[in-house]
Amino acid sequence: MSEWTGVLDLVMENRLGRSVAKTVYFQGAFKVMRPVYFNKNSYPCYYLLNPGGGYLDGDRYQMKVTLGEGAMLTLTTQSSTKVYRTPTKPVYQETIFRMKKDSYLEYLPDALIAYKDASCYQKNSIYMEKGATLLYSDILTPGWSPDGEKFSYDMLRLKTEIYMDDQLVAFDHIKLHPASQDMNALGFMEGYTHLGSLIVVGEKTSDALLDRLYEAIQREDGEFAFGLSKLAVPGFTIRILANYTQVIERIISVCHHIISDEWYQTKPSFLRKY
Amino acid sequence: MTNHALSLLQLCDSSFPIGSFSQSFGLETYIQKDKVTDANTFSEWLHVYVHEQLAYADGLAVRLVYDALDQEDLDKIWELDRILTVQNLARESRDGTQRMGDRMLDIAKSIYNIPMLSIYAQKIQDKEAFGHPAIVFTMIGHHLQVEKNTTILYYLYSTVVSLVQNAVRAIPLGQTAGQKIIYTFQQQLQQTTDKIMELDPEEFGIVSPGLELSQMQHERVGIRIFSS
Repeated sequence: MSEWTGVLDLVMENRLGRSVAKTVYFQGAFKVMRPVYFNKNSYPCYYLLNPGGGYLDGDRYQMKVTLGEGAMLTLTTQSSTKVYRTPTKPVYQETIFRMKKDSYLEYLPDALIAYKDASCYQKNSIYMEKGATLLYSDILTPGWSPDGEKFSYDMLRLKTEIYMDDQLVAFDHIKLHPASQDMNALGFMEGYTHLGSLIVVGEKTSDALLDRLYEAIQREDGEFAFGLSKLAVPGFTIRILANYTQVIERIISVCHHIISDEWYQTKPSFLRKY
Repeated sequence: MTNHALSLLQLCDSSFPIGSFSQSFGLETYIQKDKVTDANTFSEWLHVYVHEQLAYADGLAVRLVYDALDQEDLDKIWELDRILTVQNLARESRDGTQRMGDRMLDIAKSIYNIPMLSIYAQKIQDKEAFGHPAIVFTMIGHHLQVEKNTTILYYLYSTVVSLVQNAVRAIPLGQTAGQKIIYTFQQQLQQTTDKIMELDPEEFGIVSPGLELSQMQHERVGIRIFSS
């Protein structure tokens, strides 16, 4: 028996300008659907899905995605990832992205919802070669709780390490533990419930792009707070605090459109969810 | 207190010229938004900053660098220099800290004859390291044979004293109010040191979202007297 509840291994390669899967392997409670090539794109979108409907006590998931030189991929989920009560052991998800030179990955999963007494640790390790471009996003949200409590989950922990040519270039570590932290207080979630992040690493990053993103986000409606800052390598992080998943999704989508326009003069495909 | 600890105290003086007077690490954003307006709200911010960011980054780094120096494991130190720098996702805080590390190293090199400081400076010059005040401070504490937990405590103290001085100027607060905060905070610094001694190294770099957001937002606040 594998120590993982679900395993996914996806290897993409560039075959004469078209990105195709070289390996698609999944086992246990982790699946991908058939790839969709939107608008005659040269690269596909893969949808991840969790046939079990959610993560349960002690579940362990591993996802490995490798992009060969010049390969491109959109990776998303079919729906939100739900983490239920974990009375004995936190859920653990490990994600490893390996990106060769000139590859492009946009990882745009739906929100992670942590329900009452849920504990979840997600660790992302991203190994890039110079010239690769990454758009990484995540949205952490508290699930509905029967007593109306805003933060009823036990713990949400997210650690992301990004390496460029084997050197650590960005490190992000969030740990929300409502029992020991006053979530509404200054410095924590400050009255918001949802946390969104967009981390972009790409050589074409410029101050002008950051200004354009900043202004576009400021024009968005709804209640939210955000911050935007450059990484130690060409790239940036956008952090968003809000009360609704949709607000964060909209902001990420607006940014995605601007980045695609600035860097590739294209429009991102609308990711149909069934 | 040993004379060695006294030497380390010199680095804790807020007038030790490494440029900490120009770094607010997001505090100024809260001041501009009228969220930090007096001694109470400032103390609240200071508490969160020390417990939810400083402890997991600089504080834990002091402990790990101290251990690495004990074991003469230089690669571990360079690894910590890198992670300490890149975990700071807010550019101004990252760059400001790096400048402070550089200056502290410069001054320390002219005061002390510690070979490790020269090795570190060379690494930075060769662009193989970034430079961080927590690492320089630990190299000196270790050289002076100040105990590990005392080195951590003094490092936290030096950071708090600088931040209080900055708050006194920026909010503004009275000098006496500032000193009262430093005095009241002493017990917390001891507790934070104890917590750092027990932390799992896997917890390195944890940051609470609001603090980090304020540090990122500082880049675009209207009136700025601090560079972070």
